[in-house]
Amino acid sequence: MLQIESRTFAKERGLFACVQCGKCTGGCPMAMKTKLNPRAIIYRVLIAGNGFNLEGRDELWDCTTCSTCYSRCPKQVNPMEAIVAMRSAIVEKGKIHPNVKTALESTFRNGNPLKLPREDRGLWAKDLQVKAFAETGAEYLFYVGCTPSYDPHGQKVARALVSLLQSAGVDFGILGNDENCCSSEVRRLGEVGLFEAMVEENAEMFKELNVQKMFTVSPHCFNVFKNDYHTIEAGATFGAQVQHYTQMLADLLKDGRLKFNGSFAKKVTYHDPCYLGKHNGIFDEPREVLTGIPGVELIEMDRSREKSLCCEGGGGRMWVEGTNPGTRLAQLRVKEALETGAEVLATACPFCLLTLDEAVKHLNAEEKIRVLDVAEIAAQAL
Amino acid sequence: MSELDSRANGRHAALVIGAGIAGIQAALDIADAGFKVYLVEKSPSIGGRMSQLDKTFPTLDCSSCILTPKMADVPRNPNITLLTCTQVKNVEGQAGDFHVTLEREPRYVDEKLCTGCGLCTDACPVSVPNLFNAGLDSHKAIYRVFPQAVPPAFVIEKKPSPCKITCPAHIPVQGYVALIAQGKFREAYQRVLDAGVPFVGTLGRVCYHPCETECKRADWDEAVSICALKRFAYDAGTLHAPPKPAPVHYAERVAVIGAGPAGLTAAYNLTLRGYKVTVFDALPAPGGMLAAGIPEYRLPRDVLKDEIETITALGVELKMNTPIGRDGGPSLEDLRRDYQAVFMAIGAHGSSRLDVPNEDVQGVFQAVPFLRHLNMGHEAKIGKRVAVIGGGNSAIDAARCALRLGSEVQLVYRRSRVEMPAAAWEVASAEEEGVKLTFLSAPTKVIEKDRRVIGIECIRMELGEPDSSGRRRPVPIPGSEYILDVDTVIAAIGQNVESAGLGVETKRDRVIVDPLTLETSVKGVFAGGDAVIGPGSVVEAIGAGIQAAESIHRYLRGMDLREGRTKDTPKAKDIEVVPTSPVKRAPRERMQELSIAERLNGFIEVELGLTQEQAIAEAQRCLACAVCSECNQCVTACLRGAIIHDDKPKRMDVDVDAILVATGFDVFDPHRKPELGYGKYPQVITSLEFERLASASGPTAGKISLNGHPPKKITFIQCVGSRDRSLNLPNCSRVCCMAVAKQAHLAHDRLPDAEITVFYMDVRAFGKGFEEFYDRVREEGVIYRRGNPSEIIRRGDKVVVRAEDTLIGEQVEVESDLVVLAVGMSPRADASNVSETLNLVRGADGFFAEAHPKLRTVESNVPGIFLAGCSQGPKDIPDTVAHAKAAASAAMILLNRN
Repeated sequence: MLQIESRTFAKERGLFACVQCGKCTGGCPMAMKTKLNPRAIIYRVLIAGNGFNLEGRDELWDCTTCSTCYSRCPKQVNPMEAIVAMRSAIVEKGKIHPNVKTALESTFRNGNPLKLPREDRGLWAKDLQVKAFAETGAEYLFYVGCTPSYDPHGQKVARALVSLLQSAGVDFGILGNDENCCSSEVRRLGEVGLFEAMVEENAEMFKELNVQKMFTVSPHCFNVFKNDYHTIEAGATFGAQVQHYTQMLADLLKDGRLKFNGSFAKKVTYHDPCYLGKHNGIFDEPREVLTGIPGVELIEMDRSREKSLCCEGGGGRMWVEGTNPGTRLAQLRVKEALETGAEVLATACPFCLLTLDEAVKHLNAEEKIRVLDVAEIAAQAL
Repeated sequence: MSELDSRANGRHAALVIGAGIAGIQAALDIADAGFKVYLVEKSPSIGGRMSQLDKTFPTLDCSSCILTPKMADVPRNPNITLLTCTQVKNVEGQAGDFHVTLEREPRYVDEKLCTGCGLCTDACPVSVPNLFNAGLDSHKAIYRVFPQAVPPAFVIEKKPSPCKITCPAHIPVQGYVALIAQGKFREAYQRVLDAGVPFVGTLGRVCYHPCETECKRADWDEAVSICALKRFAYDAGTLHAPPKPAPVHYAERVAVIGAGPAGLTAAYNLTLRGYKVTVFDALPAPGGMLAAGIPEYRLPRDVLKDEIETITALGVELKMNTPIGRDGGPSLEDLRRDYQAVFMAIGAHGSSRLDVPNEDVQGVFQAVPFLRHLNMGHEAKIGKRVAVIGGGNSAIDAARCALRLGSEVQLVYRRSRVEMPAAAWEVASAEEEGVKLTFLSAPTKVIEKDRRVIGIECIRMELGEPDSSGRRRPVPIPGSEYILDVDTVIAAIGQNVESAGLGVETKRDRVIVDPLTLETSVKGVFAGGDAVIGPGSVVEAIGAGIQAAESIHRYLRGMDLREGRTKDTPKAKDIEVVPTSPVKRAPRERMQELSIAERLNGFIEVELGLTQEQAIAEAQRCLACAVCSECNQCVTACLRGAIIHDDKPKRMDVDVDAILVATGFDVFDPHRKPELGYGKYPQVITSLEFERLASASGPTAGKISLNGHPPKKITFIQCVGSRDRSLNLPNCSRVCCMAVAKQAHLAHDRLPDAEITVFYMDVRAFGKGFEEFYDRVREEGVIYRRGNPSEIIRRGDKVVVRAEDTLIGEQVEVESDLVVLAVGMSPRADASNVSETLNLVRGADGFFAEAHPKLRTVESNVPGIFLAGCSQGPKDIPDTVAHAKAAASAAMILLNRN
């Protein structure tokens, strides 16, 4: 039995405010293809008396934590966080999928969930003239993140960002091999203990290095630093101002510090990453960067901004397949992008890059459309 | 104020704020009981939201049919004083003794004279979205809210006009631009004349157009090419036929000194007002600097001649070759004896000296006399290599003229390009034509041989600290002297006013005046233009001419010279423009120009003007941000003379015993729920828009259709902008369930084959006959599905409502041709102003709070102030009327007791 105390659970998470209107489930991208029904789960918790059994609720692992449910709820109930909390209860009992276990263990041992060696983390920047933050200090800490440090496409984005910021004269440094996973995915997978330990470790390090301002490549890292670190005791010492890199670039463009001498003459459509858009309301800045690039013709998909369709890369879903691996939302998304006639599908998230890249390959659409990060496009126009 | 005599001749009085159904009912009840009522309404008509509704639930009687008779009762009731376009500005005192200050916004149409015939609206060139029809169609800038409006008078919508405010002569730019857009070129030309500006073709060529700098269109792409359009209005609109002499109404005669733009403009305006005006000028030809200073390639002489002929044909007398106060001409005293007022507009025709050795040798010229000489048709003998000293417009004019006389020209300016006072486009043309520019250099000595120029010694400068003009002061670099090999020097370093001996007070050389009235130190003598401000622009001079004519008329008629002349208009920079429809980007139309070779071959006009197609396209780029363009077509059309374009706000004070607040509600703006795609998908509309679509008096005459097609699938969504904590609108809007049921019924009634779905969270059918009506609608076949839709997306030419049907626990998609959002009732956007003025407390839902939730629902927290209708919270019509009657009754207790 995987029992939770449902009354306490519901009370602590404000679930009693729920009027069962179904607005969460109506827009849930996973409800389109799996048994996940956020409204029904809340209802079951509400009517369960004082014990709700999580056994057999595999659909809890379908949630991508895209936050569509929370962003739409008229009663400000957060089904996504309720689901993450239910995952925690499962993880606490040790009843977790082997893949999840491996990712969590790797995060603990290697500082990344990818099972890759810690000493390779800084390799991407070996031939670049980037300051080592720990040695020289800098105005900004460039927090690179796991995927951009190790994944080939992610590395390209990190390198593009370095060239953009250098051309704009921004003073920044990186941590190299000392950088540690931000633990956003650890939290979404429900491993509260590991999350708290990692937060404490990172917060201490940033404090020691006197990090005042930082920016990230991934909206997931950005979100966890901005919204989660300071809300738990372990992150009490974390006080840096965090920005997503698209915010930095938009500001630099406005101030005239970032200038494009070249151009990128292509039709581009932009996919809003959930952790940038729905989670943090950052819709305009990436578009300001794209439209500021000479030659870019920005076309919007019908589902844009608040209605952006999740690519299924978040919420730990890079490591858990979910209950219906057949239809991938990323493929649906690429089809929507193709319908606009765009030659480039731009985004600003390393997870989105991976899932959309794979979908393009699966649909044999490599000739028609390329998936590029906003930073990559911008760097091409320098 | 007599029409609003205090305390209504000793009777007890109430003030009712807001004239929707609640305010109307309360006012009628109190008036019928014999008390005085001031019924104050912000908008131009009474009727409120109810006048926008089609049928009312659950009885399905027609909203207008039951409302209109009540509206008509208001003006007929002798106890009611109706004040539309009026707001409460201040309230003092207490129950039984309130002193209220009201402010009436101008309607710009005389309510008493207007018969509501609509000729004005037909003539008006400006259209704006019709908010009464929820933006589904448009109305003109002069309009009536709806046909049954009370009072029936039309109203003009005006906003501040950045171009007109910026123009020194306050020309109603949007007026002639709107007329050009309609192909009414003659009317456009006439409109500028009617603004007191006789120099249309001239300004259209030489104006430095500060209006374009402030044009809000530039926020989207580029400013409207206003100056070129004014030129077009003259080129295409003038008949070149001089007008008939203006009739003389007054015995007083006016003398104007100076036949430049300021003097002639004043003469033009005073003559039109009925004065006999004589203009004196020292030069042989009229026009002042227009004739003597501006070269022909910028202003062809036939244009100037034509415009001056228009002025003289009216009866303005010109006395040329007649200097005042010097060279044997009459003195100012002579003029004051023979004329009852004098306008002094002598310009700035003097020149500043270079103050360098040998500046009096042969070959050194001053720009002003040089240009005058040339412009008066004389031959100018200059050398092959010319240095022009200076960076203003005269320097550029002199340089470009010298170029046309076949010389090589070098312009020497002591500061850098950015500090040049000349217009940037003039500098660019000069460069294009071949003038060489040397910056940061100043002459130190003219080099002569046999008293003829053989060169000029200059010194290099650098820029130091900013001086009093805000520009950086040039400082010589010691030892950097060099020699320019030239045979002619034209100095254009400054102009001054030849004011000595005139007998008015001056500061340095400029005539001192009162900036508002242009009065000088001598009674009856006014001054303006360059004589007052130093070398300025043509449009400033014209502005001064208009201002002087107004002052002189008031002076001669014994009127107050200052009253009503200080305008508290906003600064153009502070005006925010929200376009009524999306702005389609389009670059401005550009004039053709002569080739460089053609230009240098004489003094032919360089710019060729816009073509007719270009002018119309350019005029259509105007955003009409002022709404009413002041084109005056309504004035011409109105047979009753009811249009008052310069109508002003009025303050009024009333004393009352009780106040009723019936300010109603706003409807929720669904742009705040972006997932529903309102504003993005034309298929998604609000319930208020649906009312107008369904209404027989609406834009489709009651046909429910979208782009001409009847929808086959209609989906209603309840609770949009109500019961929503995330929007801070936590309350139930109370009427939407039944309003949706009624609208679903109407849709079924008009389109029996349509599939109609209603998405609901709960159906609240609590009132008399409500549940029965809900039953009826379901039995008609309307599908009720439980679930609050999460999003609307596009699929082909349809939209798809995505929701969970919570009763089957599945995600569903409902394809729809039309989606109606049942928008909630929200507190008025300006509720905080009302609450501040009246000291009213608001509840957590933002509506005004009643004194007790059970026992005192019509009393506010302030004794003597009562709440009626939806100002207190969402209500349907029967509840609103009942609440209003209760409030009226509570107020009457107070009125009767006092």
